[in-house]
Amino acid sequence: MSIFDIEFAAVTDIGKIREKNEDNVLISSDLGLGVVADGMGGHSAGEIASSIAVSVLAETIRKINTETLKIPETFLPKLAPTERKLLMAANLANAAIYSTAQSSEIYKMMGTTLTGVLFDKDCAIAVHVGDSRLYLLRDGKIIQITTDHSLAMEHVRRGLLSKADADKSKIQNVLTRAMGIKKNIEFDLLKFPIKEGDVMVLCSDGLYKGLTEQAIADILTQDKDFPIVKTCKHLVRQSNEKDGQDNISAVLIKILPAHKLTFGQRMRRFFRRSK
Amino acid sequence: MLDGQSLVGKEISGCEILTKVAEGGMGAVFKARHKALNRIVCVKILSPSLANDKKAVSLFLTEARAIAELDHPNIVNVYNVGKEQGYYFIVMSFIEGQTLSSMLKKERVLPIGRVLDLFEGVLKGLSVAHEKGIIHRDIKPSNILITPEGKPKIVDFGIAKKVDKEKGSTKTTELAGTAYFIAPEQALGKDIDTRADLYSIGASMYYVLTGHFPYNGKNTIEIIQKHINEPVPNPVKLRSDLPGWLGLALQKLMSKNPDERFATAKEVYTHFAKMRAEEQLRVKKMQGRATVDLGIESSLKISNEQESLSSSSKNLGATEFYRSITARQTQPGRSKNETQMPKLDDLASGAAAAVPPKSAPPLAPTMELVPEKNVQATVVPAPTSTVTAIHDAKPTIKIIFKLLILLPLFLGFAALVGYVFFSLGKICSAYVSDSMGFFGNVLAPLTVGKTLPGQLFYTALSLIMVAAIFAASAVKAYARTTAMLLALAAASYLAGVFTPNVKFFNASSMMEYIFSPEYYLCFLVLAVAWTVSLCWRLNRSVPERVFGMALIVLSSTLAYCASSLTITPDLTTVSTKILFTGAILFALLSAYYLSAKAERAIILPTVCFLAALSCFWLYNISGLAYRTQTTLNTLVSTIPMPDADAAQKAQAKAQEEYLKISRPGVFKAIGSSKAINYMKEEEKDALLDDALNKYAGDLIEKEKYPFFIQLLKTYYLVGPSKTAMKIWDYAASYPVENFNRNAQTNNAYFFLVMLLFIMAGLNCVGGILFKEDDL
Repeated sequence: MSIFDIEFAAVTDIGKIREKNEDNVLISSDLGLGVVADGMGGHSAGEIASSIAVSVLAETIRKINTETLKIPETFLPKLAPTERKLLMAANLANAAIYSTAQSSEIYKMMGTTLTGVLFDKDCAIAVHVGDSRLYLLRDGKIIQITTDHSLAMEHVRRGLLSKADADKSKIQNVLTRAMGIKKNIEFDLLKFPIKEGDVMVLCSDGLYKGLTEQAIADILTQDKDFPIVKTCKHLVRQSNEKDGQDNISAVLIKILPAHKLTFGQRMRRFFRRSK
Repeated sequence: MLDGQSLVGKEISGCEILTKVAEGGMGAVFKARHKALNRIVCVKILSPSLANDKKAVSLFLTEARAIAELDHPNIVNVYNVGKEQGYYFIVMSFIEGQTLSSMLKKERVLPIGRVLDLFEGVLKGLSVAHEKGIIHRDIKPSNILITPEGKPKIVDFGIAKKVDKEKGSTKTTELAGTAYFIAPEQALGKDIDTRADLYSIGASMYYVLTGHFPYNGKNTIEIIQKHINEPVPNPVKLRSDLPGWLGLALQKLMSKNPDERFATAKEVYTHFAKMRAEEQLRVKKMQGRATVDLGIESSLKISNEQESLSSSSKNLGATEFYRSITARQTQPGRSKNETQMPKLDDLASGAAAAVPPKSAPPLAPTMELVPEKNVQATVVPAPTSTVTAIHDAKPTIKIIFKLLILLPLFLGFAALVGYVFFSLGKICSAYVSDSMGFFGNVLAPLTVGKTLPGQLFYTALSLIMVAAIFAASAVKAYARTTAMLLALAAASYLAGVFTPNVKFFNASSMMEYIFSPEYYLCFLVLAVAWTVSLCWRLNRSVPERVFGMALIVLSSTLAYCASSLTITPDLTTVSTKILFTGAILFALLSAYYLSAKAERAIILPTVCFLAALSCFWLYNISGLAYRTQTTLNTLVSTIPMPDADAAQKAQAKAQEEYLKISRPGVFKAIGSSKAINYMKEEEKDALLDDALNKYAGDLIEKEKYPFFIQLLKTYYLVGPSKTAMKIWDYAASYPVENFNRNAQTNNAYFFLVMLLFIMAGLNCVGGILFKEDDL
């Protein structure tokens, strides 16, 4: 668990034209976890893939926490326990989707993106695959933490396309990595320190197609004093108004004051807490 | 996607489905028999998941119809297209035979002449399609079927792929087009035209001729990147018998920039035909002189027009001819045919101009973050968040200024509060009497229904002070300081009430008594307050827990010292031992709850802590309690107490109405048989005083007589258990009484006042230094 108090909010919307919502979101304050998954595949396979992704991920973390499930010692022993926990859960989720996909003709081509954040002490650990994104708003500046695993962004990364071109590109929807496509996939694992006042946004591509980074930052800053559920709804509504071509999902996470502080902060708190 | 079995045996568009041949993401391909024509056909059925998409379906139908219009021997024939039984289908000719790629698996490389023949056919077919505006999008050896007669047929026109592409927002992990043969602009997701197919033709030919893909890599992405980025490889390096013109033609086909490629498929195959014709001519010319056995696919065929022309004009021999080939191979750019074929250097520079050099630094996708798997914790430049860092920036002087102004102000206010309450206490000390006890004395001004001169004034002043304290805390909320000031006020008042003869804030002789139980009691008050405030807190940090445990130990020790009397605890009874063990146990428990169960456990450590202190206290005073009890027991057994006679009882009954006021006591008294129960108060006192004088002897000191008279009265009137309670009460408050008694000489109250004063001052300093907002 994190030493910070963390607030979570999640909203998912079908969008204007889609018949199904293939996105899935999950937030759990007792696990300190927020996840967004955007499924793909015909019939209802996309929904199934994304729902397996979030549920297996959360369930595995819960099981590891309660020690009903042990991480094998050979599993990435060099990583920190929380990182291993998250990766283990992500791997199990991938395996679950893959085996479901193999089990039936209907699910054969299904897959999903996954972007999740798990909080541990003063850090956030993100696991990421696909083109959902994790943004961090700190001191009024917004930063995209994750790198999209899409062909277009891959080109951008190597300097072959400009970011503006990539946003218009026809290959935006082509993912270079996704869960459930292969038996073993590579996850991005990102660890970064969090601090009081940070706001994180986990979102599916539907959200950022309708809203630019700056627009997201503006909404977050402007709604700073509102309950985050409201802000989260606001984000999704705005994106839907602007685009709405895809399912839109957002998870909003706000870092509230920490329990553990530096000496100075502790002293300050010591004198302030008795207000 | 499709349940193959359910369709087998069914009839679609007059075709009886026989078996499933292949299946892809977009649909399934079946072998079928066309009933009317009685021939084997191929039926492709669009996946139902795409069939729901109107846009996809209309594209599928449009393009399928367009292909159906193409009647070309090198394009697989489409007979019918439409929708039946909910399935979108295409009926095509069924081709026995193999694909170019499967052919290649059998023979590692194909003869150059054969390849050129096949691709001439492919290009012809493609040319027709291109004229209709149809782009294949996925030209590759496996999409070129070779009929048993050796005729190439293009299959799998990009219908489904196009559908997929135009669907746009549907996520996929597959790129339309195969990575090994994809054109750069297609891989970049730009708009493509017919020239993208020409690139794929070039790449496919490269593969078929050399047996190697033009670009290879660990994964699709890497291959695609190379298509976009890397210079076009020279196929001649891999196959030395490749004619120079063909190598250059392939490189031209695979130019990164579509403008540098051949413009149309037709241009390509006419170029091929022309070059082959020239070559044939050259070979014929050569045949007259050279004695070399050329063979069908010999290297002679490679001879470059430039070389052969020059050699023919110079009548060079075979040896020289071969040497010149070698030379040409090393310098492939020297082509005579420069107007038509760009130099390799040009190609390379063209490629470089079209795409950034490979070494170009990758564009950072975010502002400060370069999130890679191995990047940890370095993500955001973390601002060091210590107090000094926050305050240092500008307001150091401001803080000093504040300290200089606010601290004296605060201390002055605190002193004023102390003085006002001391004065009030001093006035109220007139009410003090020994019989009222501690709280009785403290509350005397309220309970005694009269006022003394100055009392009202000081009470009003005190109330104003209290209001000021709360007002200050409301403006700048420091409950800690508020509490401190209130405690200071209370201590000052007590000092005034119990030690009215000492001058205000007389700190003399404090050091003499610093190690006396009274001073320990002062320390204890602070320690207990602090410990409880730590206990009464959610989510204690580790230092807080350690500090809390230390405070528990300190408080226990202080409680032990403060309550310790000259009379040692009575160790003969079990209850004393239980008390001591209990004290230790409770102290340990509170320490445990304070440290281990940090979350939410606030009541348990507090209760245990207070219990521990009580046990220590009771343990220490148990000696006094038992001794008093023993003395009382001795007195009761020695003093003869006559029974009441009938007259006394009758009289009491007559007074019943009057006695109703205190019923429980009265009933008990009436039930009692001792004469003392029916006496008046004065009679009782006189009787007991006499008895004590007579029987107590050395047992108790004279000054204790009134106390024992009280005890004996309780004993006879209410009973032994109540008396025991009274005795324990007396013993337990003995240290506090001692405190009041000794405070006259050792100024303990003022010591307490001073401690609180110092603490309040520290609090104020802390508040100024560590508070976030400005005062």
